[in-house]
Amino acid sequence: MANKKQGFLAIVRREILRMQSRPLYGLSMIFAPLFCFVFFTSLMHEGLPQSLPAGVVDEDNTTVSRSILRNLDSYQQTEIIKQYSSFAEAREAMQRNEIYGFFYIPKGTGAKASSQQQPVISIYTNAAYLIPSSLLYRDMKTMAVMASAAVGREVLFAKGANMDQAMGFLQPIQMDMHPIGNPWLNYNVYLSNTMLPAVLALMILMVTCFSIHTELKDGTAGEWLQMADDNILKAVSAKLFPQTMLFSLMALIYLVLIYGYLQFPAHNGFWPMFLAAELLILASQGFAVFIASAIPSLRWSLSLCTLWGVLSIPISGFSFPVMGMPAALQAMSYLFPLRYYFLIYVDQALNGIPMVYSAWFYTALTAFLILPLLDISLLRKAAHEYTYLP
Amino acid sequence: MWIKDMLDVCGKELRKTVSDVGVLVFFIVVPLLYPLLYAYLYGRETVREVPVVAVDDCRSTTSREFLRKCDATPDLKIVSYCADMEEARNVIHNHKAYGIIQIPRELDKTLADGHQATINLYCDMSGLLYYKAMLSGCTMVSLDMNRDIQMVRLSGMSDHEKEVMTMPIENEYVTMFNPANGFQAFLIPAVLILVLQQTLVLGVAMMAGTEHERRRKGELILGDEYSNPITVLGGKALAYLLVYGFTATYVLCVVPWLFNMPQLWQLPTLVAFIVPFLLASIFFAISISFFVRDRESCFLLFVFVSVPLIFMSGISWPTSNMPTFWRFLAQIFPSTHGVNGFARIGTAGALLQDVRYESIALWIQTAVYFMTSLFIYERLYRSDKMPGVEFVIAMRTRMRKDLREAGRDIKVIGRKLKSKL
Repeated sequence: MANKKQGFLAIVRREILRMQSRPLYGLSMIFAPLFCFVFFTSLMHEGLPQSLPAGVVDEDNTTVSRSILRNLDSYQQTEIIKQYSSFAEAREAMQRNEIYGFFYIPKGTGAKASSQQQPVISIYTNAAYLIPSSLLYRDMKTMAVMASAAVGREVLFAKGANMDQAMGFLQPIQMDMHPIGNPWLNYNVYLSNTMLPAVLALMILMVTCFSIHTELKDGTAGEWLQMADDNILKAVSAKLFPQTMLFSLMALIYLVLIYGYLQFPAHNGFWPMFLAAELLILASQGFAVFIASAIPSLRWSLSLCTLWGVLSIPISGFSFPVMGMPAALQAMSYLFPLRYYFLIYVDQALNGIPMVYSAWFYTALTAFLILPLLDISLLRKAAHEYTYLP
Repeated sequence: MWIKDMLDVCGKELRKTVSDVGVLVFFIVVPLLYPLLYAYLYGRETVREVPVVAVDDCRSTTSREFLRKCDATPDLKIVSYCADMEEARNVIHNHKAYGIIQIPRELDKTLADGHQATINLYCDMSGLLYYKAMLSGCTMVSLDMNRDIQMVRLSGMSDHEKEVMTMPIENEYVTMFNPANGFQAFLIPAVLILVLQQTLVLGVAMMAGTEHERRRKGELILGDEYSNPITVLGGKALAYLLVYGFTATYVLCVVPWLFNMPQLWQLPTLVAFIVPFLLASIFFAISISFFVRDRESCFLLFVFVSVPLIFMSGISWPTSNMPTFWRFLAQIFPSTHGVNGFARIGTAGALLQDVRYESIALWIQTAVYFMTSLFIYERLYRSDKMPGVEFVIAMRTRMRKDLREAGRDIKVIGRKLKSKL
């Protein structure tokens, strides 16, 4: 009887029962990640925002200004929703968040253009909302240059040039941009690829730390260790095993969701990313065990794990590149498992280069798994002589 | 007297806050340090000198001039000149550069023929800022060089004539409210507001969790010292409002000032907007804190929510392009309106009438969450009917108490009977 309650499998069974006994585990291990998976992928399902609301102030009201505006409205990403009578009115609409930007055509633009006095038209965007502002700017700038070229082209046509000659004169050198791996500039690809594992890793860090320390808090640690013959390594690995399995299932769900259902680019196929996701799970667990052993207080170790999980989102560099951060934080970024996952994703899914180039990132993730070996003996000591501090 | 009761509760709540290190961390330490960390992280606003490699198949004066000018822009830095695309790709694969500028062999010939020549740019898409830097850097150089080329072709005209010929309508670009067009001024206001709401939720939930634990162990029995749940609720809200008056002043005024971020707000507008935001957050926090069963579970339940919340506010992905469901769901969180209002008041200098929608929404939220927390308090205070396990425990303690009293009564009756006999 006593024998039956000992060993790896018994602890696994015990852990499953513990997980079932509290809705908190279900909420944080299943609901939270699933919610975020659905949230991010559906939020940005458009890929690139379309029909962003913009306005115009046309103080000129000539054929020239009207032709500029007509062309502007034909852009896919810009939608002119209103014409304002003055600059102040448009600026106020921007402050009310009705539009993200506007075109300002001052009085006399048409007259100046036809009398060759080089009028100036202005583009204003609300850069407090950076993404719509940058996208609007791109359309509006192109439009302004085109408007200018259209006038120049008419002059050249009048002088007898053909289309090819005219363009060769107006824009002798043109740029041809090839965005590797994400030619649609799809924001969903750009953000969800890192956001989904980031949320999962955050939950793993917190749940691992919480579940180990609640044993100490509830005073069940003695029983738990005794089931593993006082072998802390066995106790921890058996306890975390069912969690690893559940988190692997969640990882599988998001991988299938983004690479299978949504068809995000995965140029080296499914397995390199699956490996990366598995290693991210284990690395996060390893890191959490390391912290949980080092700090013998539930709240402080949980706080640190939470901080790590939340901070890993900006510091992984997927939205704001690491090279733009202060040097101290650049160095810090090496301590976050998500950073390596992000680098692997860039190599393996986005760019599809041979795995040997990412070998070092896979190794670094694995290193997090060995981290707890350094201080896990402290956890064993704590399990024997622990007093809960609120 | 209800005012006295309310101040009494407020005092007790403040004492409870100060004596609980865990709550103090959420109410004071996190709001103190976290915004500094974020502002520091995005302090450089954008990326400069993005490393790129050049493949110059033309090797003419024009192509060299183009590359030299690219290298001179603040956006790009040419780290290597490669013999062919294969070599360039190798540099990219080794994570030494994020883009390739490839100049075709026939560039000069095409230009001399008067046709349009094309320069190819290949960009690593791991960060959109690399793309932005490469596109804007190279486009700027090409526009500049195009003008020079046209000027030469238009010899025989005056300088002004040439300029008019090449650019009949000039244009200018003004990025309003975020002069550096960077990350800090756009993301930090959202982070600041979210820090206020989330630390409130975490701190209040931690206190509720502690109370819950003690009640479960029978250490804490809800008394009926205060006749009215409104006074209890009002007293608690007052205490949090006092603490967050200071916290919010630091987070919303001092932090942006420290990092030289745009601060165009006017004091009456800011106060009139932040007070309903804090009230809505406080009652929101109290309402959801009832789901917390113990001290530490607030981490697991509420921290991850910050990530979707920052996106729901529309500061990053535009609200106009959100699916309807998420747009509606976002309305129930104080942070959504808080972020939108504060970003426009602080960064864009909006007045209260410009954020009318947001401030009305926050007042409605204050009312609604006040009602929900009142409803839950009413249940807790007026009767012992608490949901689930707590109900059973409460009934058990009451039964034991009843039994004990009954036992005592029986003894008394027995004694009385004995004496009579």
